Amino acid sequence: MSIIEELQPIFRSVFEDTGLIVTREMSANDVENWDSLNHITLIVEIELHTGLTLTTEDLMNLANVGDFIDMLESKGFIPNGAG
Amino acid sequence: MNRERTYVAGHALHDYNAISKVKMIEDYKYINTLKEFICSKFPYFMGGFDRQYAKFGDDWASAFNKELEVFFGSDEDRIQSAALGYGAFCLDSMKLQVEFNKTLEYRNKTYAEASSEVYQNRDYMFGLYLPGILISHYLWEHHYVQLKFYEKELIPRIAEISNPLIYDVGVGTGFYTKEYLRRLKSSQVTGFDMSPHSLGHTEMMVERWDFSERYQSRLGDILERDQTEVCDVINSIEVLEHLENPVDFLHGLNSMLRTGGLGFISAAINAPNADHIYLYRNADEVAEQIQTADFTILSQTVDQAYEPRKPGDIVPTNAAFVVTK
Repeated sequence: MSIIEELQPIFRSVFEDTGLIVTREMSANDVENWDSLNHITLIVEIELHTGLTLTTEDLMNLANVGDFIDMLESKGFIPNGAG
Repeated sequence: MNRERTYVAGHALHDYNAISKVKMIEDYKYINTLKEFICSKFPYFMGGFDRQYAKFGDDWASAFNKELEVFFGSDEDRIQSAALGYGAFCLDSMKLQVEFNKTLEYRNKTYAEASSEVYQNRDYMFGLYLPGILISHYLWEHHYVQLKFYEKELIPRIAEISNPLIYDVGVGTGFYTKEYLRRLKSSQVTGFDMSPHSLGHTEMMVERWDFSERYQSRLGDILERDQTEVCDVINSIEVLEHLENPVDFLHGLNSMLRTGGLGFISAAINAPNADHIYLYRNADEVAEQIQTADFTILSQTVDQAYEPRKPGDIVPTNAAFVVTK
């Protein structure tokens, strides 16, 4: 399972869209409910899921989901079934 | 409780379509520069600018643009640094808010711990906290509504006092110190704070607005002050929630104000910032403490930072009071 596949249910839950297909190119501009409050909710849910603590520095300069996935990988996150 | 009137948030709402025909937010140079910096690093904060402009219109935009012009000028490095600070400040606060909505408690912290982590930490204060708060006066709806309340409910009352002496206790960025000096040309302001960095930032603010001749600062705890001179107006914006014992502090404020003087006191409610210690769960708790300290409330406003997403969601709120003694 890829990181995107593993995190997709979290995106769907936070943005209340059961049919949302998450891609590396997706950004806040592509999702209607992706505002600052939902962004933080997404971060907190992903922290809980991955066990990582994400700092402000980690969260800056993330233009799209691909940047976010790369950041998680750089912090050592390995998706289920990939280790 | 004596409440002559309750201010209604949003009184200054304008028709968005009418505004957009005249001007665009992009026409405000300094706001636009700040917006571009913030949104390049934190794109999900873009909506905050447009929402505020839609709600408060050109009065808001002109004042915000002027604030940025005077304080930052054309120094893009400083604006960029403030943009990063604001974004980081918001991220920190919002993460704590998500946690707070689950625990309903602030993280356990003493004043000494908060002081060491925040107020005495120059890098944190100048890099994140002070720019974050300064910009929030315009980009956070409840902070801007508080400013409009101050303008409408307090300033006309002070205008009747000749050469008012104003004590600003807990100056923060110096935003309100500057507002008094700007609006009341014969006023003198003394700023008190426990943080040398807040006082430094305030001195910078006052200097940039060219009001230094009417301002002085005092470092230290007002409860340990040995001077007995009283003022005409006491100001304390969002200080109470930073304290272990806000009632003692309120008694201290009362002792600094002459009988018949005016005060402006506000507090953050259900707002778990890194340095918030005392948890107010509603505005009545704040009002009760203010009255316990022998102030009389003349007017108040209670405003949420944003609309709750769903029933039961707890939203940061601000309560501000015009008081007398």
